[in-house]
Amino acid sequence: MSAIKPMPPITIEKPKAKVWNGARAIAEAVKIADVDVIAAYPIRPYTGIMNALASMIANGEFTADIIVADSEHSQFEIVKHASAVGARVFAGSSGVGLAFAAEAIIVTALSQLPVVAAIGTRALDDPGNFGMEWSDALMFRDFGWLISWAKTVQEASDMTLVAYRVAEDRRVLLPHFIALDGAAITHVATPVVPVTKEQATNFLPPYRPPYKLDPAEGPITKAQHIAPSLIGPEQRKAVDVATKRAKQVIVEAWKDFAKYTGREYPPFIETTGMEDAEFALVSMGAYMKDIELVADRLRKKGMKIGTVRLRYVRPFPAEELLKVLDGVKAAGVIEFGYSFGSPFGTGSLYHEVATTLYEAGSKPELLDFLFLGGREPTVEHFTQVAEKVMESAHKKPQKKAYWLTLRGEDI
Amino acid sequence: MSSQVAFRSVKEIPGVDYYTAGRRTCAGCGPALGYRLISKAAGPNTIFIGPTGCMYVANAHQFLTSPYSVPWHHTQLGGGGAAAIGVASALRTLMLKGKRKLEDINVVVMGGDGAMADIGFSGLSMGLSYDYQRLLYVVYDNEAYMNTGVQASSTTPWGATTTFTPAGKVKPIGNTRLKKNMALVAAAHPKVKYVATATLWPPLDLMNKVQRALNSGGPSLIHVLLPCPKGWFSSPADTVNLSRLAIETGMWALWEQIEGHFKLNYRPKPRKHVREYLTLQGRFSHLKEEDMDKLDKMIEEEWVFWEESAKVGRLVVPY
Ligand SMILES: Cc1ncc(C[n+]2csc(CCOP(=O)(O)OP(=O)(O)O)c2C)c(N)n1
Ligand code: SF4
Repeated sequence: MSAIKPMPPITIEKPKAKVWNGARAIAEAVKIADVDVIAAYPIRPYTGIMNALASMIANGEFTADIIVADSEHSQFEIVKHASAVGARVFAGSSGVGLAFAAEAIIVTALSQLPVVAAIGTRALDDPGNFGMEWSDALMFRDFGWLISWAKTVQEASDMTLVAYRVAEDRRVLLPHFIALDGAAITHVATPVVPVTKEQATNFLPPYRPPYKLDPAEGPITKAQHIAPSLIGPEQRKAVDVATKRAKQVIVEAWKDFAKYTGREYPPFIETTGMEDAEFALVSMGAYMKDIELVADRLRKKGMKIGTVRLRYVRPFPAEELLKVLDGVKAAGVIEFGYSFGSPFGTGSLYHEVATTLYEAGSKPELLDFLFLGGREPTVEHFTQVAEKVMESAHKKPQKKAYWLTLRGEDI
Repeated sequence: MSSQVAFRSVKEIPGVDYYTAGRRTCAGCGPALGYRLISKAAGPNTIFIGPTGCMYVANAHQFLTSPYSVPWHHTQLGGGGAAAIGVASALRTLMLKGKRKLEDINVVVMGGDGAMADIGFSGLSMGLSYDYQRLLYVVYDNEAYMNTGVQASSTTPWGATTTFTPAGKVKPIGNTRLKKNMALVAAAHPKVKYVATATLWPPLDLMNKVQRALNSGGPSLIHVLLPCPKGWFSSPADTVNLSRLAIETGMWALWEQIEGHFKLNYRPKPRKHVREYLTLQGRFSHLKEEDMDKLDKMIEEEWVFWEESAKVGRLVVPY
């Protein structure tokens, strides 16, 4: 009898990185998720995703019906109803395109249909502005969509797969937006490690809706007219409960994602240097890379500053944020979205952070830094922001919100 | 495809209803009667899409009951065209990918004139430009936005009063726009398989047209005139009678276009004066004799084109 041979070491095959821009990387994730119905309508900067999908389908790389719609309103109605039938679907848009589709977008969440859509964030008209702003995506903060915000092309692609897993979970059944900072993610090419077909199959079960619009499932009546006296508030509560349940499902999904792909992400909040930080820069999206760079430089000079990145705005990770900001003397919110005439002239993300901090035992000085109208920020601007935040700890600031990149009057 | 007949006599109309009790439409509601006939003709393997309007709000409401015994889904007022494409696409793709068993399933949008001729016009047009089969758009035309309290739509006839186009001292006519012809619009889509007009009378004409549309091999549209007692200020007892008078006065022409071939289904001979149709409806009560004569003249002129189209077997556009 021969000796027992030692087992060869287990190797996880690591797919080679590809150089893809954000649009392509998202499209690849949609392909690997085996999406059935896609509806497209052009508006930049998101359009490239649909261009990529259309050519993949045309070349037989995967089977899906891509419908060239007549408008964003139709685009979102198409995927909403395809989802009701039981198809896995994908759509997306930017800026005024989303505004045009608002009605269809809102009813999708209230019908609890797990549509996944990408937003290449863009300033809203008028005037026509191709710059990056968050106002289009944040417009849909209040209607039951889950909203995640990617920092890198790799993360955007991975988030797409996770979005399907979370949205389609029976405990959730809510639509999901993946926000990509327009141009900074959509148009920037970086090395991306794709999710393999095998990883995707393990991670993402097929979409099995509890009720399908299909004669084989019997007669169902969906979204019928209701009397508020019957189930008005209960129906709203059901959607709210689903958004709250999504928090747990998101945690599980990212854990499983790490298990199958080896790529780990903190589910809700990513921090750098926050362990002993006295100052924090709070933001999200692609410019986080620059903000982290600035904070890192200042740290090397001995400043106790850290960064906090939100990966989701809906559901909003309030408890997690409170925990990381605990003990911080001053924090600055850096954002690209605004609400005209808002309290103290502050931005949309500030309102979320300030509301959260209202519950804090000791509140840090909170300032808001606004990059509006799509003009490109630079590392210099973020450095100014950090200095202002640190200064506010010993010198009372004159105002809550500061506009940057503004010609004439600045910080 | 031929103009085959599925229902030869009233005796062949199936007894089973897919649009049943539990609705709260007005007495004598034309669209409700239409829904009943259309759903009977389409049969059980059908999904209905209902854009907002009377056929949404006045059905499936009270105590969360539903009159539909086939799958039904609401869509937004402007979403009918797109919603149907989503449903048809999902069915076809799931079947193609082996995720659902192969089967013929009808997708029928029951959209009001406001939904289809106005706000959902572009989505409807998109829908007609695709090649999904067994996809039928029914424009149920009660000639105004009834659910919101009788406002003019672009299919409201000349001379009708609505709450947005009341007849008054300075504007004595009421609505002065001419009715948009949705069937002609549909027919303008290249390669559209089947387009027809219909009303409640004769009922078999409507039901057979639904059958032909669904079997046509592509997207189709039927523009159905359906009297509405509330908005027309007519007697609930006159709903079918008004459908018939619309045909006999030439106010509504029954025709179909099968793969580009035009066919006139009925010729009023002799044609009754439109007065007989108008005087049963309060919405025309302000019209003077000469206004009714003017309308009658308009009908006469339009009919030259329907006859011409019938002669050559192709649509000759009357406007
Ligand atoms: C976007 C939008 N605008 C307005 C309304 C209000 N609304 C509800 S039903 C309706 C009338 C629909 O008219 P029509 O399609 O002709 O159907 P009908 O009520 O006559 O059956 C309107 C305007 C709405 N639901 N959605
Ligand atoms: S208003 Fe007209 S269309 Fe609406 S339910 Fe009454 S009769 Fe029917």
